[in-house]
Amino acid sequence: MNRLWWVLVLAMAVLSCRGRAVVVGGGLARVRAAGVLRWGGDIQGGEPYVYEDSEHGGRLTGFEVELANALARELGVRAQFVQNDWSALIPTLERGTFDVALNGVEVTPQRVGRVRFTRPYYIFGARLMARRNDPSVQPTLASLRGRRVGTLANRFSYELLRNVAEVVPYEGVEEPYIDLVQGRTDAVLLDDIIAARYGEPKPELRVVGDLADGYYSIALRPADDDLRAALDAALARITASGELERILRGANIFNDRQRRLVTWTDDDQRRMLGTAAAGQRFGWSHVALFGKGALVTLLLSALAMCLAIPLGLGLAVARLYGPPALSRIAGAYVELYRGTPVLLQLYVLYYGLAPIVRLNALSAAVLGLGMNYAAYEAEVYRAGIQAVPRGQMEAALSLGMTTPLALRRVVLPQAFRLALPSVTNDFIALLKDSSLVSVITVVELTKQMTITAVDIRGWGLPGALCALMYFTMSYPLSLLAQRLEARLARS
Amino acid sequence: MIEVHELRKVYGDRTILDGITASFARGQVVALVGPSGGGKSTLLRCLNGLESFDGGAVTVGGDRLVPGGAKANRAALHRVRQRVGMVFQQWNLFAHRTALGNVIEAPVHVKRVPLAEATERGKALLARVGLSHREGAYPHEMSGGEQQRVAIARALAMDPEALLLDEPTSALDPERVGEVLDVLGALAADGLTMLVVTHEMRFARDVSHRTLVLHGGRIIEDGPSREVIDHPKHERTRAFLGLDRR
Repeated sequence: MNRLWWVLVLAMAVLSCRGRAVVVGGGLARVRAAGVLRWGGDIQGGEPYVYEDSEHGGRLTGFEVELANALARELGVRAQFVQNDWSALIPTLERGTFDVALNGVEVTPQRVGRVRFTRPYYIFGARLMARRNDPSVQPTLASLRGRRVGTLANRFSYELLRNVAEVVPYEGVEEPYIDLVQGRTDAVLLDDIIAARYGEPKPELRVVGDLADGYYSIALRPADDDLRAALDAALARITASGELERILRGANIFNDRQRRLVTWTDDDQRRMLGTAAAGQRFGWSHVALFGKGALVTLLLSALAMCLAIPLGLGLAVARLYGPPALSRIAGAYVELYRGTPVLLQLYVLYYGLAPIVRLNALSAAVLGLGMNYAAYEAEVYRAGIQAVPRGQMEAALSLGMTTPLALRRVVLPQAFRLALPSVTNDFIALLKDSSLVSVITVVELTKQMTITAVDIRGWGLPGALCALMYFTMSYPLSLLAQRLEARLARS
Repeated sequence: MIEVHELRKVYGDRTILDGITASFARGQVVALVGPSGGGKSTLLRCLNGLESFDGGAVTVGGDRLVPGGAKANRAALHRVRQRVGMVFQQWNLFAHRTALGNVIEAPVHVKRVPLAEATERGKALLARVGLSHREGAYPHEMSGGEQQRVAIARALAMDPEALLLDEPTSALDPERVGEVLDVLGALAADGLTMLVVTHEMRFARDVSHRTLVLHGGRIIEDGPSREVIDHPKHERTRAFLGLDRR
């Protein structure tokens, strides 16, 4: 037990050394010496930001690629793209993997306190969309009070919506609009570039209006302020020369809003950054939210296991004792569900089947995880049933029992006892796998942690608390599994 | 009460039972003896359908088993198994049930005997095999001899018309063999029909009424036990018995 606490303390210590810049100061000199400006982005964000052009052998394309190239040229260096998951761009910037984050990074109060921003290179509108046949959504935040509104977690739009609407956080740009069409949400608020590509082409949807202006800027580590100044100057030059406008027009995203970029002043910059709220402190309200997230995780896992256990049992019995056709179907089920990622299964269940069955997110999560784990449980039971000596079945049959009765009264109770330690271990794994359901908008413990980490500008405390909560849930189960195994070994 | 007619069983290119015909009367105690691989256990397992066969027929009471296994005999199998009980070499007690639990399991769940009645009956049966003091013991807590006596009580609990015993003492420590044979002797004295596959020649000679010698899937000798064992006619029987007596 003592050693365990040491591990925990050590883990917390590591986590609380939150991403301080590894490389400090002299950013401009460093970039010039290296001859490259390394810029981080995520090609998953897709067109028109940064993407691989499939028609030209996957060549990196997008208005941000051209912008990065133009800025690097102004600095007298070469631009080098570094692929990084979008949601981790800022932490990765902080640990020094690249010099700047340049990929639709919106100026939000949380980020202003954490990184340095250049002047903006694009001004977007937070665009509200609703179903064409739903006139109740108006172009004001107030009309969204209490309604379900989809957006991407930790984006500018998310900040506008929280404390107003019931926010449904997505992880991809296409899914919010699919769910809006399906009626799972009442509206979607996202950057106009995203809305124009993924929302507006859908005939069932209409643009309600733009609720606020937001800014894409280049983010740098605070220590690299000289590089920030150099990039600001470079941006000013290519804005004034009309090169930026040409780049934006090339991507078909130039509009009247962008004219403000040309007349951008220091006052504009201060106003843009002035929205910075003081960083929230990690407090009891966050702990309460974590508690809620942990409850969702526990409920979700318990319900999924309640589904997986009987379904898995049915599959195992069908596979071993069912008629050939049923046995093959059960076998195919197990192989299919074990052989494909659970993430994909959740997607198919929630988005793919939406036109046929419109499950709410929590039901889809329980069903998806439950059906996936049923495949694993089926194999655990199959092994358990096969470990029960054949003589047990023969003795039961020779006493006049039918095969189903012999299974129910004699074989399965023994098989279940043999399987119980594995089932307990599977439940522990399920507790942690359940974090995957955030892709279908369920906010459970891990998702709550990532949201809070952005709010308080640090991963240390939220990460440690999150780990502690998972541990608190899984350690007693782990002890239980050990006791069950010991009991099994004795008898 | 049990008729076997031209029973054949083939396993791959090996003939296990090569046309066995025999009939066993009510109240008879029959010993099945012979060298290993002669087909004794297989014959016994065919009688209650644990083993399927390829030719001939088995009739138990009025129920007839034919080739084709469980699929072809579904209804008959269920009745046959209630008429004849089975005791195994390795006991096969239900590992998750106590001695008493093993005995009352089938009466309660197959015959739907009320629990109180089944329990009373089960206790009496355990007393009959001398195990009143072990009612609450689990199989892994009992010796082999005790487990085999529980297995006999379990089979008797279904009120079988006959008992099939497949080498009931072969897996026991030598000092435990006696206690099981004593129980079987008492059952024989009570008039229970029993077919016993055994290597215990003393038991065959002194307790069973009739002895069958199987060799190569055929009955090579069949007669009153003392006659067969004391004055075997077939040379293979003589060889077998000579080896066995050492």
